Amino acid sequence: MVVNSIRERTIAENSMVVLLQGLQGEVTTVDLRDESSARGLVLNVDAFMNIRLKDVLFLDRRGQTAQLQDLFITGRNVRYVHIPDHVNIMKTMESQLAKIHRVRNFAGGGRKEFGGRKK
Amino acid sequence: MADEAEQQPSTNTVEEPLDLIRLSLDERIYVKMRNDRELRGRLHAYDQHLNMILGDVEETVTTVEIDEETYEELYKSTKRNIPMLFVRGDGVVLVAPPLRVG
Repeated sequence: MVVNSIRERTIAENSMVVLLQGLQGEVTTVDLRDESSARGLVLNVDAFMNIRLKDVLFLDRRGQTAQLQDLFITGRNVRYVHIPDHVNIMKTMESQLAKIHRVRNFAGGGRKEFGGRKK
Repeated sequence: MADEAEQQPSTNTVEEPLDLIRLSLDERIYVKMRNDRELRGRLHAYDQHLNMILGDVEETVTTVEIDEETYEELYKSTKRNIPMLFVRGDGVVLVAPPLRVG
């Protein structure tokens, strides 16, 4: 569930995208910049706020609905993300950050992300 | 800020514009957004991009219709309420304490 790229991890942990990443598996509504909206299950959110949704009810600007199995939304096109009532924001962000830190500390003898100290 | 769960802000003084927003945490605020939108809600969290989490938010969308014959401008506003909203920072124009009427 944690992204593999070091660059994405750093971008994510320094912004609030981590909260959206913690919404994976929840059904939410994403309002797009062009006034359309998409309601579906969040499959994945990356550091750039690109969102993948599944089983989506898509409402376009004119109010016409469409059922989509899979939808990819570019981060730039997101205006709002509705957070479900039962989600605890602080806990979600803390657990996402903990996952990132666990991955970073994994296999301490491996490649270091922030060049090691000189002895 | 995303890291606030792990470390408290080290200073209480206002040093940069984002600190002014920090003073409004947990308070109700007014947010002016692009495309003639306004939000009024409680600020729960924000980051350097001005991505924000607002609770109990009321969104107002203002539209102008022009009467074709009289060329009168008719201002309409549509409101909706959302319990908890994540707002992407690039749509935010300004953040202020709620406007007092009168």
